[in-house]
Amino acid sequence: MRVIALPFLFFVGAANSQQLPIFDAHLHYSHDAWELVPVPQAIEILRKAGLKRALISSSGDEGQQRLYAAAPDLVIPELRPYRNRSEVGTWFRDSSVIPYLESRLSKYVYAGIGEFHLYGADADLPVPRAMVGLAKKYNLFLHAHSDIDAVERLFAQWPQARILWAHSGFDSPERVAQMLRKHKNLWADLAFRTDHGSGGKVDPAWRKVFMEFPDRFMVGTDSYTPERWHYIGEHANWSRAWLADLPRDVAERIAWKNGEALFSSFQSR
Amino acid sequence: MEKRRSAVLFLSVALIPAAQACTPAIEGPRLESKSYVLAYRAAPEVGKHFSVEVAACAKNGPAPKALKIDAHMPEHRHGMNYKPTVKPAGPGRWQAEGLMFHMPGKWEFVFFVEGERMTRELVVFSDEEKARILSHGPWPPPSRQDPSNRVSGKREAIALGERLFFEPRLSGTGSVLCASCHVPFRQFQDARARAFGLEDVDRNTPSLMNVGLYRWYGWDGAQDNLWAQSIRPLLDPREMRASASHIGKFIRNVAGNDYELAFGRKPPADDQEILVDVGKALAAYQETLVSGRTPFDDFRDGRATDYPIAAQRGLGIFVGKGNCSICHFGPQFTNGEFADTGVSFFAGKGRIDPGRHGGIKKLKASPYNLLGRFNDDATRGNATGTRHVDLQHRNFGEFRVPGLRNVARTAPYMHNGSIATLREVVQHYSDLNEDRLHFDGEKILRKLNLTAGEIDDLVAFLESLSEP
Repeated sequence: MRVIALPFLFFVGAANSQQLPIFDAHLHYSHDAWELVPVPQAIEILRKAGLKRALISSSGDEGQQRLYAAAPDLVIPELRPYRNRSEVGTWFRDSSVIPYLESRLSKYVYAGIGEFHLYGADADLPVPRAMVGLAKKYNLFLHAHSDIDAVERLFAQWPQARILWAHSGFDSPERVAQMLRKHKNLWADLAFRTDHGSGGKVDPAWRKVFMEFPDRFMVGTDSYTPERWHYIGEHANWSRAWLADLPRDVAERIAWKNGEALFSSFQSR
Repeated sequence: MEKRRSAVLFLSVALIPAAQACTPAIEGPRLESKSYVLAYRAAPEVGKHFSVEVAACAKNGPAPKALKIDAHMPEHRHGMNYKPTVKPAGPGRWQAEGLMFHMPGKWEFVFFVEGERMTRELVVFSDEEKARILSHGPWPPPSRQDPSNRVSGKREAIALGERLFFEPRLSGTGSVLCASCHVPFRQFQDARARAFGLEDVDRNTPSLMNVGLYRWYGWDGAQDNLWAQSIRPLLDPREMRASASHIGKFIRNVAGNDYELAFGRKPPADDQEILVDVGKALAAYQETLVSGRTPFDDFRDGRATDYPIAAQRGLGIFVGKGNCSICHFGPQFTNGEFADTGVSFFAGKGRIDPGRHGGIKKLKASPYNLLGRFNDDATRGNATGTRHVDLQHRNFGEFRVPGLRNVARTAPYMHNGSIATLREVVQHYSDLNEDRLHFDGEKILRKLNLTAGEIDDLVAFLESLSEP
């Protein structure tokens, strides 16, 4: 099915039509949020925040599937290799992760695998390698919370991989730029960092990177606890404030157009 | 039948002649065996040879003549690497030389007086731990005045502030006073989970003890000075529901003379100015609320001979594996900043308390912050923090790190009073749900996995931070 209602969706929900739409590329709806922020409330929060679309994963996986079922126009699901958040530091050595991923992939549609936490040489362990194999098989993005070393190893395993680099690796703008120059299939989200746009002003070093790579960045809230669902609107407004310090076309790309373009293949399924 | 047995037992116990106590010839930790009382003095440091001065006396009979001394680490199951020599130093007195504790941790002195064994556990701190321990003093702190408040420390202003603190007519309804929530005999808090002024409030009432030493005020740090913090509840409709005009009218009509004594002028026509001055008088009074010395202070300063061994072990956890002293730093046991400690910050169904994130926004917007015209320090040198504080995503759900002085008297705990006892607070950190903390966030906070005994010890230490 091809999504053809994009102009309509632009005005969906309670968002002010003058607001810059936001594609939030870094949300989680994990097990502890399901009761505290029920699906209807979660969807309402996303719409009130003026989100055009949201890339959402959860630990365990039922979370974003519930959201996707309730709002397929808004939610883009990705598959986390965690059944609960406590597996953040262990999943890459846990062989049971792979059959779990396979079972989910055979039942549901996803745009990517992630967000997963993976550092350095751990990226070459058998479980991450098998995960990359599944991403290749299903033509999925990898959403990697990783250092440069692990990103390089993922690309070495699958040179055609498309990787969304969570938090831009919490790395410096200069090193992020180097990576973007080197890897044409690397995109970066800016979740949970403020150094690029504090106080409504874009940092000069980051400005250079945004101007050089206007089509490679996305914003994201990172709702890692249930409470942070109530931060999504705040974060969207905070993002609009610093994005307003960039040329309009660059701001629009980072705010939502890059996300739309990157995940267009998912939307057209 | 049961009563008779008890009575017989009591009589037989009472008829046993009690051994008479005696007093050893030196001051120091005191131990007792069946026949003897012993005291010692020692200042062991890790990796350095030290001596022990010992005095013992007999409860009955002749003074003891023989002393042996040893030390070991019960948990490590080893002793010292050196054998001490004991030399007589007068009747019932000895000097032991050549001891050395070659690693920090829990040691146990073992004394034999005429063959009777006495032991004393002690915790030997590393140099790094000692430095951390010493950083929790001195106490009481040197007095200081607030340059943003021209009447800070002024006797007449303190008197006015005290009067206003207990004045219900300051509230809009005439029914609530500062002391309604900040109850003097409860360490100036209210023992409730969440405050109640005229309505329920989302947060726990913090103690006002040592409040003059803070950097930020309120659980969210929405104020950068004590007089602004004192104004806030006056105007909050849930707390005292007053207004600047109400306060101005009260001062002009009821407390004009006291105001003039404190501020050296008659109450001005500008209600806003009076409101700020009321805040400054209240602040001047609250600056006098300083807690007293505690058993920990005596131990830290080397004055205590009876600081509980459990508290010493707890102190070892506090400055050691617990890393508590990283945030609960300095003489007040707080770094004065904010942290997300994994406590839920839902304030009700579908409502959250944004904590420091909301606080910074309020601070920046406040007309009473130190960058504003009411700061009496014309240099604004005291506004550096307000000028530079940065709003970050992690601030969402962070709350002020509270000081720990008199902490045993200020239950319940956390920004929302959600934890009832000190033991449960320690348990919270022992079982910390790391999933609630951002993976790239604060690395100090980690699940402590304390044993039941370690929890007891840490609680014993925290209790020693309260005035006797």
